[in-house]
Amino acid sequence: MYRTTILLLAGLVTGAGLGTHAFAAPLVKTEHVEAELVTEKTSAQPGKPATVGLKLRMAEHWHTYWKNPGDSGLPTRIQWVLPEGWKAGEIQWPYPVRLPIGPLMNYGYEDEVVLLSDLTPPADAKPGDYTVKAKAEWLVCKDVCIPEKGDLDMVLAVAAAEPASNPRFQAHIERSRNMLPGAAPGWKFDAALLGGSLVLRLTPPAGASAPRAITFFPDRELLIEPAAPQKITRDGSGVRIEMKLADPPPTGLQSVSGVAVSDAGWPAMPRKAIALEAPITASLGAVAGSTDPGSLASADGIGGSALAALAFALLGGMLLNLMPCVFPVLGIKVMGFVEHAHGDARAMRLQGWIFAGGVLLSFLLLAGLMLLLRAGGAQLGWGFQLQSPTVVVLLATLFLLLALNLSGVFEWGAFAQSLTSNVSARGRYADAFLAGVLASVVATPCTAPFMGAAVGFTLTQSAPLSMAVFGALGAGMALPVLLLAHFPALLKRLPRPGAWMETFKQVLAFPLYATVAWLAWVLGAQSGNDAILALLAGLLLVAMGAWMYGRWEHAPGLWRAVVATLLAATGLAVAWPGSSTAAVTGAAAAREGELAWQEWSPEKVAALNAAGRVVFVDFTAAWCVTCQVNKRVSLHNSAVVKEFAARGVVPLKADWTRQDPRITAALAELGRNAVPVYAIYLPGESAPRLLPEVLTPSLVLAELGRLPAASPATAITQR
Amino acid sequence: MKKLLALSIASVFCAAAFANAPVGKPAPAFAVTDLTGKPVNLADYKGKTVVLEWHNFGCPFVQKHYRSGNMQALQKKYANDVVWLAVNSTNKGHSDWEEAPKLTGQLKDFGAQPARYLVDEPGRMGLAYGAKTTPHMYIIDPSGTVVYNGAIDDKRSTDVADVKLAKNYVVAALDELKAGKPVSTATTAPYGCTVKYR
Repeated sequence: MYRTTILLLAGLVTGAGLGTHAFAAPLVKTEHVEAELVTEKTSAQPGKPATVGLKLRMAEHWHTYWKNPGDSGLPTRIQWVLPEGWKAGEIQWPYPVRLPIGPLMNYGYEDEVVLLSDLTPPADAKPGDYTVKAKAEWLVCKDVCIPEKGDLDMVLAVAAAEPASNPRFQAHIERSRNMLPGAAPGWKFDAALLGGSLVLRLTPPAGASAPRAITFFPDRELLIEPAAPQKITRDGSGVRIEMKLADPPPTGLQSVSGVAVSDAGWPAMPRKAIALEAPITASLGAVAGSTDPGSLASADGIGGSALAALAFALLGGMLLNLMPCVFPVLGIKVMGFVEHAHGDARAMRLQGWIFAGGVLLSFLLLAGLMLLLRAGGAQLGWGFQLQSPTVVVLLATLFLLLALNLSGVFEWGAFAQSLTSNVSARGRYADAFLAGVLASVVATPCTAPFMGAAVGFTLTQSAPLSMAVFGALGAGMALPVLLLAHFPALLKRLPRPGAWMETFKQVLAFPLYATVAWLAWVLGAQSGNDAILALLAGLLLVAMGAWMYGRWEHAPGLWRAVVATLLAATGLAVAWPGSSTAAVTGAAAAREGELAWQEWSPEKVAALNAAGRVVFVDFTAAWCVTCQVNKRVSLHNSAVVKEFAARGVVPLKADWTRQDPRITAALAELGRNAVPVYAIYLPGESAPRLLPEVLTPSLVLAELGRLPAASPATAITQR
Repeated sequence: MKKLLALSIASVFCAAAFANAPVGKPAPAFAVTDLTGKPVNLADYKGKTVVLEWHNFGCPFVQKHYRSGNMQALQKKYANDVVWLAVNSTNKGHSDWEEAPKLTGQLKDFGAQPARYLVDEPGRMGLAYGAKTTPHMYIIDPSGTVVYNGAIDDKRSTDVADVKLAKNYVVAALDELKAGKPVSTATTAPYGCTVKYR
């Protein structure tokens, strides 16, 4: 079946026949395009460039192509045939639009385009009429493609006088000129290849702000996947555009160039498109002094809205108050308020603010420490604290002491009393501040598993924004106490102080004991069974010390404090994780009804894929509660286990319970730096399919159902 | 925050729909039928060099290579060395879709000699390979690894006269393979009409 090119040249008469004034050039009509040459001015001056254009008017829904046509197609070509001594410039391309065709993407023009060129008569050109000709070729496509061409001509007058504008085509040419990419003075551009992505950063001059929606059109092919969505994230006042790199990515790339288009325009610039060239740097982070760029998360949908991130963080912080590790501490603080509710309102407000200050400062310190360590090259994600067995042991001890205190085994002694006594106002403020710090410290094991993924997102932003998000998290956590401090009337709704408070306090001890139990299990996953025994033995000694301290509360002398401290210290020494923290790795034999997990490595994924096997990777950690819930509820669901077996999907477990730079790197490649992450690697698919971080059995089954049929040889079947 | 993450995850899903067969990676397996209705698996050709040619007679770029006799000549020239598979991923609803008898007749008229002509009507094989244009050429070596992915030649046009002037990337790659050399130009930008996926 052929599609013939029909050239309707019936109207092709030389311009001279139409009159002396050249701007009425003949129209060439093809099946889908009306083409003509147009001029901006009625004449040209010798030796000076005159702007002319090839105007293509496409039939409805048909398109022609930009200089980089995208996934398919062909750019329009113009070959000028000019009088002796004339020169023609290159085509000046107006910015294109994205034209999706099924799963593919083209860059081109619909409706009308005027491709501008400069024609320059020689300096010694004599006044008079000259015929300029152009052989133009264009591919015009809708759902089918037709190569068309036209022999166009036009009479252009040369005159010494200042040329008058050509009213007939002035508007067309002006419109096209406004669509030419302009220069962007004061802007800085850089780019980096991160994993499978090209990240382009546009930094405006001081005081200006980058537009929110930008589309980038690269000058060259085989740089990015044209059809993949472009993800925009804010970077200070600038913006990052993340694009999927072509596979394989181009080698030896020094810079990327192209056109960035903002429909809303650019600050202080008249045009919607700018031309840019961005040098490739090793990492964008180094330039901005921001955090690790290796884990640039996709943030499609937030459109760079830092405000949304801050609002979510504030909300998350408030929720933290309900976590089992935080609630008891908070409960005590609130009860303190209850006791003093009829006291000095001003002092109470101040206490509330000091508490908030303590929380905020602790959060910022912890976040700052993490950012600093990351900047120093450490492969850390949020929750990193819990990757250290030492921190886990210290936290377990702290939680046990807090719990024993709440159970009434002992009261804080002379030392603490001087700080926390309610006698002096000063003591009360110190108490409030310490409570804030304590609440933040005990909150960390809870933030890690519940907020890890979310907080991880902020790490991909600039350092100031990251800090702001952590600040918002702290502010959210402090907010309820702050509200109570300002509106003591709310407290009046609580029962009057009395015996119930002691009961309540003792009840609050149990969530803390539960936290200790969980931390013991985390340590076991990190350092093995022996470590759990050591921890429990140590905690036993700590408990004995606490008990003695409380039992002989009124005994004179220092011996009580000394013995208790000695016991606690011995306990800590016993519990202290030894140097032989041999991790328990390797897969335990799969139990009935569970997946037969194998240990993860990137090589293993590649090898299995090469053998035609589908691989499911569970990026997990023992301290990640979400991970554990997902595993129990959704992955070890009997229907899911059956489906894994039926489809021959190999489950691999990447355990991040302890530091593992390989896993951190693999997560960064997926744009994450927190667990859980669930990824399915298919043979022949360059990018894995990612599952949401909260799984349900039906969701996993649906995802497995989307996989191609089981055996490698029939991965693609004919319907 | 969770919602934002879910959104970003969703966008990753979308991007994964269109896969790729990059040079150096194992060729995606496929199981389709040919014009005569016989099944064809990539595994059938283990140990052989396989050429894949994405095809659609409705496309002027494909017409250029058949009207010039270029493609048929290559199919014939390498008939003993490689398994040449033409693949048509045009969807049934498209005006370029041809039923088997008519297509068989056209192939005969042109003297086309691919070893098999694969009908990839749902387009799954095309999507798995990331085939973008007609023609889009792939070469798979005897170990099952993709060694060439891209255009047929370096003259991006529909002009029959350009065939003689072009450097043919597939010829260069096959000749290098035959000589036991690595393929020097292994990835190029394919040119042509869009594959008419559903």
